[in-house]
Amino acid sequence: MSEPQLVVTDLHVAYGPIKALRGVTLHANEGQTVAVLGANGSGKTTLLRAISNMLARSQGSVRINGADTAGVPAHRLVREGLLHVPEGRGTIGRLSVRENLRLAYDLRPTRQSFEAALELVFARFPRMSERLGQLAGSLSGGEQQMLTLARAIVNRPRLLLVDEPSLGLSPVMVDEAFAVLREFQTSGMTILIVEQNVRKTLSFAHEGYILRQGQIVASGSGAELLRDPAILSHYLGAS
Amino acid sequence: MIAEQIVNGVVLGSMYALVALGFTLVFGVLDKLNFALSELFMLGGFVVIASVGLGAPLWLAGILVLVVCGLLGLVVEFVSFRKFTSADAQVTAALSSLAVGLIMIDLVQKTWGGEPVSVPVPIEWRRANVAFFGMQIQVMKIVILAVTLVLMGVLHWLISRTAMGRNIRAVAESPTFATLLGIDVKRVNQQTFFIASALAGAGGLMFSLRNGIASSDIGFTFGLKALAIMAIGGMGDLRGAVLGGILVGVIESLAIQFGFGKLGEIIVWALMILVLLARPGGLFGAAHTTEQRA
Repeated sequence: MSEPQLVVTDLHVAYGPIKALRGVTLHANEGQTVAVLGANGSGKTTLLRAISNMLARSQGSVRINGADTAGVPAHRLVREGLLHVPEGRGTIGRLSVRENLRLAYDLRPTRQSFEAALELVFARFPRMSERLGQLAGSLSGGEQQMLTLARAIVNRPRLLLVDEPSLGLSPVMVDEAFAVLREFQTSGMTILIVEQNVRKTLSFAHEGYILRQGQIVASGSGAELLRDPAILSHYLGAS
Repeated sequence: MIAEQIVNGVVLGSMYALVALGFTLVFGVLDKLNFALSELFMLGGFVVIASVGLGAPLWLAGILVLVVCGLLGLVVEFVSFRKFTSADAQVTAALSSLAVGLIMIDLVQKTWGGEPVSVPVPIEWRRANVAFFGMQIQVMKIVILAVTLVLMGVLHWLISRTAMGRNIRAVAESPTFATLLGIDVKRVNQQTFFIASALAGAGGLMFSLRNGIASSDIGFTFGLKALAIMAIGGMGDLRGAVLGGILVGVIESLAIQFGFGKLGEIIVWALMILVLLARPGGLFGAAHTTEQRA
């Protein structure tokens, strides 16, 4: 392996005069799960949006699979295997569940038929087969999260960015979402996850970074960070 | 007589509907008004005159209207909408498209003069009638209705059944989420402008065939009525644009039948005000939801 799949170097992003990211450096090796933790407003969402080129960077570089992504349109990054699941899931509410999955399928048509891809989804999420004709907007929050993750089954990304997958979900659905992410992890998918649910996230991430006011203030393996209550309580206010 | 006026109203309304569909498509996807559509409607008749003048048969002239107006729509997208992404863009882009429309009027008047120009359709075509339930209906009106229905059918199929339509609906709901799904929003915008402009041009084509003339000054009033119809039908609502167009066309025709004459126009505006007072989201659709474009 020449270089990690995702390499972020000295990344700066500003919203006008407000500096949201101030020199973030991190990397994720292929197959690794990397967590970025931080309080509200620490720049986590901005970091993901900058990596997926939804936001322009003012300084620094992002390299995915060895190529600098500067100037590559965001939709093309998606076509090349980056799946960014934003806060609020990113499903299209006025399209049916089937159409939402079809959008994912159309991105990189594989040799497998759409129907076969749907079967894979049903195998993991049996409930999706009943919901197929429904508008995505009519699903519950948990079901929408499942739909979002089902997109990664229909069209397997090389790099998955997930923004707060547990937000607004019931405890049961949170467990379910993490179970699915763990399966993706086991299958060798590279995952960059941003979360407030510190313990759950660190207990399955290989590496963790703590983000505070747009800067990385601590990093280490998930286990190391979990064992260091000082870091956790100081930066996250976690119990 | 009333039945005949209703037929006239449906014919007129289907032309309104074509332009209103153009407005509502662009509005649905970009949340912006493309005023140039009014003048692309006007231009439809002149493209027919120019094509027939160059020796094209009428069916080919009709196709050329769709293509030329569609391509001009791409120009409008590039000139007046592509770079307009700031918070003021809802106003500035609309004004810019209005200016592009005014330039089109000027260019038409430079080429053909300010007076109406007759459309080279054989007079016996326009005179031909068929009997239908005791009414005499011009064949031309039936042709207009049939072509409009086909265009609406194709539009419905494109939007609801094809990958392009799926992408258009996704961008209409959320450009951000659509991008994250790998959709090229810029291309979807271009497709939307092409379709909307071709529809407006087709409306102009029908109008010039019915009246036998093309005129450089019809775009503004007709376009404003199409905008009113979009509001009546519900902004961004395709079905609302069609039903609203036919409703307004029939009301206008009946108003003329009952001797209100020019008052028919006032009825359209009064109807819009009343509908919007009672149902701000329009008669048919749920209120159009706008996303904060981040």
